[in-house]
Amino acid sequence: MTAVTAQHHHAPVTPAQHGPLRRYLLGPGWIRAAWMFCLLGGIGFGLVVLARWGGGWHPILDGPPIVLVSLLVAAPVGFLAGLGTFDYWTYYALGHPTRAEDHSGHGARTWKDYFRVNTDHKVIGMQYLVTTVVFFLIGGMLALLVRAELAKPGMQFVDTQTFNGLFSVHASLMIFLFVIPAFAGLANFAVPLMLGAADMAFPRLNALSFWLLPIAGVMMVASFLVPDGAFACGWTGYAPLCSDHQPLGAVFFNQGVQWAGASSIMTALNFLVTIITMRAPGMTFWRMPLLVWANFTTSLLVVIATPFIAGSQFFSMFDHVMHTAFFDPNNGGYVLGYQHIFWFYSHPAVYIMMLPGFGIMSEVIAVFSRKPIFGYRLMALSLMAIVVLGFSVWAHHMFVSGMATWLRVPMMVTTLLIAIPTGIKIFSWLGTIWNGKLHFNTPFLFALGFLSMFVIGGLSGVMLGAVPIDIHVSDTYFVVAHIHYVLFGGSVFTIFAGMYYWFPKMTGRMYDERLGKLHFWMTFVAFNCTFFPMHLIGVEGMPRRVADYAPRFASMNMFISISSFALGASVIVFLYNMITSWRTGEIAPANPWRALTLEWQVSSPPPTFNFTEIPQVVGSPYEYGVPGAQHAILAPSRATEVEKEVHA
Amino acid sequence: MRRGSLFTLIGLGVLAGGIATAVAVLLPWLPSPASREAGRIDFVFWFVTIICIVIFAVVAAGILYAVVRFRAAPDDDSDGPPTHGHTGLEIAWTLIPTLLVVAIGIVSAIVLAKNDALAKDTLRVNVTAQQFAWSFQYPGGNNLTSGTLRVPVNRSLLLTFTSKDVIHSFWVPEWGQKQDTVPGIHPTLHITPDKVGRYPVICTELCGLGHATMRTYAIVMTEQAFDRWLKGQTKATGSPNPATSGAAVFKNNGCGACHTLTAAGATGKVGPDLDDLTQSAQKAGQPLQQFVETSVTDPNAYVAPGFPKNVMPQTFKSLPKDQLDALVQYLIQSSKKG
Repeated sequence: MTAVTAQHHHAPVTPAQHGPLRRYLLGPGWIRAAWMFCLLGGIGFGLVVLARWGGGWHPILDGPPIVLVSLLVAAPVGFLAGLGTFDYWTYYALGHPTRAEDHSGHGARTWKDYFRVNTDHKVIGMQYLVTTVVFFLIGGMLALLVRAELAKPGMQFVDTQTFNGLFSVHASLMIFLFVIPAFAGLANFAVPLMLGAADMAFPRLNALSFWLLPIAGVMMVASFLVPDGAFACGWTGYAPLCSDHQPLGAVFFNQGVQWAGASSIMTALNFLVTIITMRAPGMTFWRMPLLVWANFTTSLLVVIATPFIAGSQFFSMFDHVMHTAFFDPNNGGYVLGYQHIFWFYSHPAVYIMMLPGFGIMSEVIAVFSRKPIFGYRLMALSLMAIVVLGFSVWAHHMFVSGMATWLRVPMMVTTLLIAIPTGIKIFSWLGTIWNGKLHFNTPFLFALGFLSMFVIGGLSGVMLGAVPIDIHVSDTYFVVAHIHYVLFGGSVFTIFAGMYYWFPKMTGRMYDERLGKLHFWMTFVAFNCTFFPMHLIGVEGMPRRVADYAPRFASMNMFISISSFALGASVIVFLYNMITSWRTGEIAPANPWRALTLEWQVSSPPPTFNFTEIPQVVGSPYEYGVPGAQHAILAPSRATEVEKEVHA
Repeated sequence: MRRGSLFTLIGLGVLAGGIATAVAVLLPWLPSPASREAGRIDFVFWFVTIICIVIFAVVAAGILYAVVRFRAAPDDDSDGPPTHGHTGLEIAWTLIPTLLVVAIGIVSAIVLAKNDALAKDTLRVNVTAQQFAWSFQYPGGNNLTSGTLRVPVNRSLLLTFTSKDVIHSFWVPEWGQKQDTVPGIHPTLHITPDKVGRYPVICTELCGLGHATMRTYAIVMTEQAFDRWLKGQTKATGSPNPATSGAAVFKNNGCGACHTLTAAGATGKVGPDLDDLTQSAQKAGQPLQQFVETSVTDPNAYVAPGFPKNVMPQTFKSLPKDQLDALVQYLIQSSKKG
């Protein structure tokens, strides 16, 4: 910490007339969160009972609506209010004097500051990353249980309800609680720094977006505790299976998605406003690092698409709990309507889960190749092209669904076209590496791993885009292989690359390079052994989402299961590296990678308010090899000046 | 670029492409096709695969060459040349992929149109899917209903789908074609089986707890054998629907997917064991006959301890009275034996 930030370390201002006990119970924090959780849960319960009693609906104590309103809606709101996410707005709305911002809730001085509402984008970024890694571990364990059951044909040790719950919750956690928010976390940390801004545009909203996330995650995991089991209809939650034939756990999924979705929308709005309005002087759009471009385009996708999944889950939940008939064909509902609305979000969501990774790749590949990004403008434009095309391909998930048959060829054409901007990016990264001075640090290894694996995932995507092939392999293990090549070989590899790349900046310490490389090679080999054979068994005839399968697939499945456990073991190396390096790693310099982007021009970790004076941006962020080129001119930090004065 | 490096690069490309080709050729990928549509799908599959192998080889060669050739020495802190782009290359890697995907699109659209085109003497079969069973009805054969799909070889076949509850999906891997069955609409699927044999029918859309067991067979017969079967089935029972014996009702409705019943050779574990019906009725405190009938038509009225509610489909209340009675008698008789 520098001398400058120390000036902001005031104690929280609390009115003098309140005693310590009162402050303990009524002040924002976990104690208040606990009792407000119960209080609002109770109010929700009371409302449902009163309404049912007043309306004469029997039974008055009906499980599903009570659980929904009380436990899944009201109680989490109580938790958020108790924690203090709404305090400032509440004071303002009630006409109380808002408290002067003393920055007591900004930045982290002890580990406890990570467990409360914090408005510092760097703290929020870390909160996101640690939370998402926890859910990554839970999701991974669920996957290993799935693989253990599938190691042999026949039923091993779980029943079908549990099995279907396992893969459904695995997918939901990995998508909504790991890949999407892990990118949000990395971007939260890096984007304001890269823009030369002191923070995000709306720091309080940023804090709220984070705290919505654990609610969503706990809700999805908790569905295992519901009588009759977790939601077991797959993460796609197709109606009418999910809207009518599922245990109460399905509502935990419907509602969990709402919390995660709200979090994503708020973060995306925050990114958009930050990127549009808070760029440092001289930071034109064409001088923005590609990570910023990537999050700009991702945020456009989130803001436009996410409301659609919210709609689909509301309809499905209304059908389930309130017996509406949105997707009930016996009462005029339209079953395929669910899939159209769902995929109108969930296909763009594939890009929401990939574009931020593209951004990380551009940073890592340029820095470790010591070369400018090849075709910078085309790289940014292809991101925009993916956004636009991304909205016109949703029905390629529905080639066998029974939708209007004429829709298949146009959707195939747009799907195939989207390979072009993606190809441009792959080839431009190759062009960046070409003739470079390659430094094989862990982030760069993951970047190369990403390049090769994502090509395989992209090409199997082209195969799936061709309607006749898709008809054959739809809903088979070929699709499972494809999505894991795209989401693990693609997204997760870039998340690992990003975590290693910014680790020194975030923690102020270096990670262990040898363990990082070990982690990469274990992941790379085990990943391919786990997921490549799935292409084969899928094409041969093994459907996805089955607890039992034909004996002829036995040896292949045993091989996949063993490999998946090796993949699980690689995560232990990652965790060990992260935890020990964070505690005792070598102290990191400000710019260990000799990168040009702005976050590396300040100390590691950065000062609480990032820059002492706003930097002046004068050129491109990737001018490696250009003699004397500068991305930005930074005013000498006040801290260095103070130091000089002291020494003088 | 020096000539030597070009040779290395091409060599690496050939190596990567060779490995990918070996994987494509040596492993048994597609099931051997048993319909004309599957033959065409195989063609598209290999057409796209060849293009994919070429692109994979190019990218892999680029990465491998760069990894070997452009590795920085440990103490080398210098930067690479400041190349910002190359318009010609950028145009090339926009245009070439465009041409390739357009070619894939055209081939796919043509194959799709051919696969959907019906012949004149198309045989129509109505397929009904329900948790967790298939049944096939022959409008041209007195509405005969069967639990397995029997079809003549080399004759165009149009399946029209009905779902009684949730979405299922009809797939015979050797036929290539697939179609979801969606409650409320009646999609169709066109197939021309061209090899006599017995093939698995697989449900590929998650449809509930018995999803993995929702299987039956498609039997492709010669034209004569098929006609004989169709006539024989209608004559043998003297009624258009032979499926009224309790055992047939049990089989055609997929009860065995979830329940164990020794007499029917069923070993499902999703629902209660039907060999113990007498004890279950005692536990429920109901007379046996009434217990069995209610459990079929209104499964949530009494749920056996240890089993979740809402798992058993509610659709069986629509069974015709004669079939229901036959089923109940069959279950009572079988459980007493078992």
